[in-house]
Amino acid sequence: MRTGASSQYSALNSQHFDTVVSVSGFVKRYKKHVAVQGVDMEILKGEIYGLIGPDGAGKSSLMKAIAGVLTYDEGTVEVFGTLVDSERAAERVKQRIGFLPQGLGLNLYPDLSVEENIDFFARLRLVPERDLIERKTRLLAMTRLDKFRDRAMKNLSGGMKQKLGLICTLIHEPELAILDEPTTGVDPVSRRDFWSILAELLQEKGMTALVSTAYMDEASRFHRLSFLSSGKVVASGSPTEVQALVPGSMVTFEATPQLDAIARVKTGSRQVEALGPLLRVFREETVPAAAAQAITLSLGDITPLHLRVDEPELEDVFVALLLRQAGQLLSTEWPPVTVLPANHGLAIEAKGLVRDFGTFRAVDRVSFQVKPGEIFGLLGANGAGKTTVIKMLTGITPPTGGEGWVAGAEMKTAGGAIKERIGYMSQAFSLYLDLTVVENIRLFAGIYGLDANATDQRLKWIVSMAGLKGYESSLTSRLPMGVRQRLALGCALVHQPRVLFLDEPTSGVDPIGRRHFWDILSRLAREEGVGILITTHYMSEAEHCDHLALMYAGRIVAEGSPGDMKRQVEKEAGQLLEVATDQPGQALRRATQAGFSGAALFGTKIHLLSLDPPQDEARLRTVLSSDGVHVQDVLIRPLSLEDVFVYRVMLVERQEQATVKGAAA
Amino acid sequence: MNVRRVAAVAFKEWREVTRDRIFLLLAFCMPAVWMFVFGYGLVLDVENISFVVVDRDHSSLSRDYLYRFYQSRYFSFQGELAGEGEADAWLKSGTARAVIIVPEKFQERLLSGQPADVQTLIDGTFPLRADITKGYTIAINNAYNVDLLADHLARTRGLSRDEALRRTHPLGLEVRYLYNEEVRSTWSTVPALIMFSLMVSSPLLTALGVVREKETGSIYNIYSATVSRMEFLVGKLVPYVMISLINVVVLWLMAVLLFAVPFKGSLLLFLASSILFILTSTGIGLTVSLLVSTQQAALIITVVVSTVPTILFSGLIVPVSSLSQAAQFQAHLFPGMYYTNIVRGTFLKNVGPAVLWPDVLALAVYAAVLGTIGYRLFTKRPSV
Repeated sequence: MRTGASSQYSALNSQHFDTVVSVSGFVKRYKKHVAVQGVDMEILKGEIYGLIGPDGAGKSSLMKAIAGVLTYDEGTVEVFGTLVDSERAAERVKQRIGFLPQGLGLNLYPDLSVEENIDFFARLRLVPERDLIERKTRLLAMTRLDKFRDRAMKNLSGGMKQKLGLICTLIHEPELAILDEPTTGVDPVSRRDFWSILAELLQEKGMTALVSTAYMDEASRFHRLSFLSSGKVVASGSPTEVQALVPGSMVTFEATPQLDAIARVKTGSRQVEALGPLLRVFREETVPAAAAQAITLSLGDITPLHLRVDEPELEDVFVALLLRQAGQLLSTEWPPVTVLPANHGLAIEAKGLVRDFGTFRAVDRVSFQVKPGEIFGLLGANGAGKTTVIKMLTGITPPTGGEGWVAGAEMKTAGGAIKERIGYMSQAFSLYLDLTVVENIRLFAGIYGLDANATDQRLKWIVSMAGLKGYESSLTSRLPMGVRQRLALGCALVHQPRVLFLDEPTSGVDPIGRRHFWDILSRLAREEGVGILITTHYMSEAEHCDHLALMYAGRIVAEGSPGDMKRQVEKEAGQLLEVATDQPGQALRRATQAGFSGAALFGTKIHLLSLDPPQDEARLRTVLSSDGVHVQDVLIRPLSLEDVFVYRVMLVERQEQATVKGAAA
Repeated sequence: MNVRRVAAVAFKEWREVTRDRIFLLLAFCMPAVWMFVFGYGLVLDVENISFVVVDRDHSSLSRDYLYRFYQSRYFSFQGELAGEGEADAWLKSGTARAVIIVPEKFQERLLSGQPADVQTLIDGTFPLRADITKGYTIAINNAYNVDLLADHLARTRGLSRDEALRRTHPLGLEVRYLYNEEVRSTWSTVPALIMFSLMVSSPLLTALGVVREKETGSIYNIYSATVSRMEFLVGKLVPYVMISLINVVVLWLMAVLLFAVPFKGSLLLFLASSILFILTSTGIGLTVSLLVSTQQAALIITVVVSTVPTILFSGLIVPVSSLSQAAQFQAHLFPGMYYTNIVRGTFLKNVGPAVLWPDVLALAVYAAVLGTIGYRLFTKRPSV
């Protein structure tokens, strides 16, 4: 009855016909803390609207208020023309909304099976049993979960939980889907899968979606977006509009010595990043030649190699906007380099490492080397075996087979010695939140048995290295995520380890904080010669590593520098074409039918791989125009590491399926 | 109220509870285990008081006197000591709770018509037991005095021993215990343990069940759906009420079959008030769960507000009427006392609604008030 009344109500407000959500002057406070301050936003029917921002930017508060499950303090929120200002008003629009709260699979019921979970959500929404059966069959087939109908939700992988969460949210076919960080903590392959399923579902039913993400590189998935930072909108509009806010170019080149080069280009640009041997610099010149010339000039007698100029990515734009807002350069004075005994051997060497858990082989003959001063990235989905490798190398888990040396110590025999030579920082940062910054550092110094003199020395070093000046006596729980992360890094370095292990260290940190963190890491590697092993989900972070290894089902399936890995994929599968059309959904279907490999929807554009771009472009134009789709533009884009990851993993999966089928036949 | 939505919530909850091994254990084993452990363990009768003797007289009369203690089922003889000096060690180590010292010339003085003093040392660390020990000692001593007097009369007046005994007992006392003829403490504690087990397990289960959803974030499924507050709360509570009902039946059977406590009253009244009590106890759990946001906090608060007062103020161990006035007032604030009255009344006394209606009414009020508080506290659009 209520739904009927509310649709009548919204029909009366004909001026809101195309606006699904309208937010103005939105303010949300938690006691004294202001989470969101003055946000305006309008979501139109049929679009995927993105909220991008780091943890604590206010995305969740805003989404919950729109879903009618959180009160707010100032401003207005209108959904389907209904002013959501009370529990009663919120109830009126809830039948038309699907809300997926944050946390991978956390809103699902672990002891219930896949099917029971879906049934619960459907019955709660009074979906007629006949519709339920039909929708369930279709959605399970589409997400390839139909084989797991009876499996308890707690036994699903991260990617499967995420898809089940989506099914449960959309089972009552809402007109507006509100999805809070649905892709956080999921590997790139599952993430891509998720986006294509979502895009298909939304298009099929003409649904509108509001989706948040902490991954900057997902911005291109949205029709329109708002970039949030500290409760405020920094930029909003379509990806192209946002990009236009900060005109400029990204110049990428190699230069040695890298640290001198950085110092020189920093005089003319505030955005300088070291990506392995590469430097990536933002210049305000829009003409590529001018930007390149400005770099060459500022470098003086250092000659840049492999110089190329690209359009800035959305993340670069966000960083530029944030820096503009901050108004000052974020810099830390680097403390004097500590002279450590020369170390000529390898930082880490793994030789045929194997680890079995019962009959399950978690790590299968993994070998790699990390030199001192090198940043080595270990990539892979959850459960690929990354953490087990780290645990074996740090002497926490004994290996089933193989050998490993860390900072010259044999890992099997020298458990204690290894721990003195390594630093370890985990995802959870392992800090004591009720202690101050200095107390935390002193505690870690005590744990590693530093004497009073050494403690004071290291304390000073950590404070200046990590940019903690001014925070010394702040409680750790009050620190912004980025500062907390640098403190954790400092604590892991208190005993001057030769080797540093970082297990997914950058979740939830804002882009500027992340860049600051990576600055420190590359200085640690370059200047102090520390060998660094890092695992990460963020493919844009992997770009910073000197060397990468991609793990899949316990094995290393690809290895090389980021550049090598991209070039290898380009050689095997082709270059990345970005196709802009007037009917993206239709175009995607046709392109897939016509056999273009890896075709996927990114916002309004289609990405696909091509070994012969000119010929494929011509063929695509013919195929699409015969279907009445107008191709607006075709561009060759540089491959991202995410493209590499997805390509490699899909390839291995296909090979494995072929072997299984071969064995069955 | 839409029955389909209530059923969806209730079925989901039931499945979760029965599939989570720890929850299942908590739901069905804990109450029965408590009943078993406390039913056998919480025996308040003071018997077999261990004691030692120092007999300085070693006469036939002194042996006769001490023999009465050896014979009593309330005392348990541990040995004879050479002197008082050793007594201290026995009392300190707890191997003896009482020492009886018979002085020298005990027989000589009594036979010559002089009074003799027997000294009794009692371990006073636990006053209740010390008092009871003292009472038993006095009773045995009195009986011996009367016997001495009767002997004396028989000897001096030439009366028969029966006649002499009658003269020394001019006032007879006949005691009959009603409702619990053998004054067995299990008859009194076991029915109250039904109350205790329910009062501890059902608020705990309910509180954890609701807070778990808040902790994981699955409560947002409810917030964002069109299910009404009432539908959710009813659906959520039904499984816990059912679990507690099953427990009532199991505990009742244990009381009657295992502990052989007679059930004399109306089963209907017992069951009806049990339902009211279950609604009250799940209501406590619900209210707690709406006020806190972690399972840990729910656990601690539930224990503090329901378990502790239940042990102290429900009449489980100490009758409410023998509590201090302040404590009696507090006892009336907690629902445990009312249900204890009903359980003991229906089990042992066969009393009906005519007597128990105030207690039933009190439970009904509790259930209604807690239900209303829960409903008011629950919001689908919270501010944090």
